[in-house]
Amino acid sequence: MKHQARIAAVLLALVAGLVLTACGGGDEETTTTEAASTAEATTKEARSGYGKKKVPAPPAIVVRDGEPVGGVEELEYSAGEQIDFTVRSDVADEIHVHGYDLSKDVEAGGSASFSFPAEIEGIFEVELEQRGAQIAELRVNP
Amino acid sequence: MSWLPFAHALAARQDLPIPAWLFAWGASIVLIVSFFALSVGWREPRFEGDRWRPLGAGLSRALLGLPAQILCGAIGVFLLGLAVYAGLRGTEAPDRNFALTFLFVTCWLGLPLFSVLLGDVFRPFNPWRAIGRVAGGAFTALAGQRPTHLRYPERLGRWPAAIGLVAVVWLEVVYGVSGGVSVGLAPHSAAVAALVYSAYTLTMMGLFGTETWCRNGEVFSVYFGMFSQLGSFAARGGRLGWRRPLAAATHWATVPGSAAVVIASIATTSFDGASEGAFLSALEWTFEWLTDGGFGLTAALRLTDTAFIGLCIAGVALVYLIGVWGMSTVEGAPPLRKLWSGFAHTLIPIAFAYLVAHYFSLFVFQEQAQFTYLLSDPLGTGTTDLFGTASSGIDFQLLSANVIWYVQVAALVVGHVVALTLAHDRATAYWGDYRQAARSQYWMLAVMVAFTCFGLYLLSVSNA
Repeated sequence: MKHQARIAAVLLALVAGLVLTACGGGDEETTTTEAASTAEATTKEARSGYGKKKVPAPPAIVVRDGEPVGGVEELEYSAGEQIDFTVRSDVADEIHVHGYDLSKDVEAGGSASFSFPAEIEGIFEVELEQRGAQIAELRVNP
Repeated sequence: MSWLPFAHALAARQDLPIPAWLFAWGASIVLIVSFFALSVGWREPRFEGDRWRPLGAGLSRALLGLPAQILCGAIGVFLLGLAVYAGLRGTEAPDRNFALTFLFVTCWLGLPLFSVLLGDVFRPFNPWRAIGRVAGGAFTALAGQRPTHLRYPERLGRWPAAIGLVAVVWLEVVYGVSGGVSVGLAPHSAAVAALVYSAYTLTMMGLFGTETWCRNGEVFSVYFGMFSQLGSFAARGGRLGWRRPLAAATHWATVPGSAAVVIASIATTSFDGASEGAFLSALEWTFEWLTDGGFGLTAALRLTDTAFIGLCIAGVALVYLIGVWGMSTVEGAPPLRKLWSGFAHTLIPIAFAYLVAHYFSLFVFQEQAQFTYLLSDPLGTGTTDLFGTASSGIDFQLLSANVIWYVQVAALVVGHVVALTLAHDRATAYWGDYRQAARSQYWMLAVMVAFTCFGLYLLSVSNA
């Protein structure tokens, strides 16, 4: 029985450790969500104010030589929101949003804008279809 | 570091990592269940029996009779042929070609599931077995005697299948990469690999006999057969029958190399899950180190992935070895070697849970493609529309992120419980003294908790 008690203690410590780590992770999560929701709130505020000029531009992904400038852009939304972004590219290609399966051609030096509701949850690639190069990662949380 | 093409070629969508609160709940439930298992253990083995009850004779005749055997074999050969043809002649876009989804999703991921539910369903459809049997029959008819075979070295056991299993996954997730572009395995390569594997398998069947090779070396027979041991249904002597679930698994690992098969399964699934999340930065570091050392992009990528698959196998084997070694220190323990193979079957549920946790959503989504546009337009060239479904797509709204998370965590927890059940049962068979049996199981408990929590951890790491 003594042996069992010792094992029990070890397991209990393990549980406590796990829960603590997980909760630590949870705090981080909430802060990012909070940050995201404040950002979202300001965006909404800005959009609802018709007369004001301070409408923040939707995120723009700049492609130079077939590569996204500054690495793969991370786009994060919650389900139900409107997804807006623009791709400016110095090479001609087809921009493909996987999962949502939306495609738009872009000319060299041109741009393409996307606007669609975040209906599908998950992580999706946005890529230059012909080059097969990922330029953004779209993340839709529930 | 986005240009590292680690992503799956087929997956247009990746799972979101499970949230921290679900990770905490999952891990807590696992530990609480484990406590419970320590306190309520039964004292006599309940799954070691070999009891098997036949089902109706008519059903057996219909499903196992000669007409059914011929039909199933023909279907198997036809589907393999179709996959190879589509791979060789069809589009190189992996997601539009019948070959990749059929071989790596419908069969590779689907058959473990159907094997658990329905028994060893791959056996009648196994195209190589069908060809081998026809060839054997033809030989007997022409030569007037049965073909003679080499004696299969029993010590080799299932080792060829274990190595083959690693090779299949290596082909899928490592070989497929190519410098800077996330294409994954090309359909053409998959078809060539299928042809090479067919030639190899048929040669081995010719050397050692069809059924002997299926039992030991044929990767898919051994792999799917392993999962079928968990379920209730099995054929025996030409009759369909059923048995207590899990009972068959207790007799599975008596052949050498069985532990290697199940360890390879857990390790390769872990690698695939971790390569996009938990291991990503380590992989990138190794990759950069190798490219700095003068390797080309593709070579560096393949070397990196190969090394990490090797590490995964070593890691999983080591955890199991520690558990086995621990058990061997308990009074009255059988020798280490017997423990090593004697508890290998307890890892099958963990391997199955890992598969469900990692591939459940991919399977559900990709099967929609399989049964719509890939069936109507197998070559993906847009020239055929056999069933009028060529323009259908995948409905990614079918599963919400929450459903996927719950299925993933539930699979790991259930797999954990089943594994503990099998381990406890085996211990009661090996240790006459109940108290020693329970003591030995602290070690296996630690092994199972390690695997399950590692599985949860892999799911919780962001693959961004």
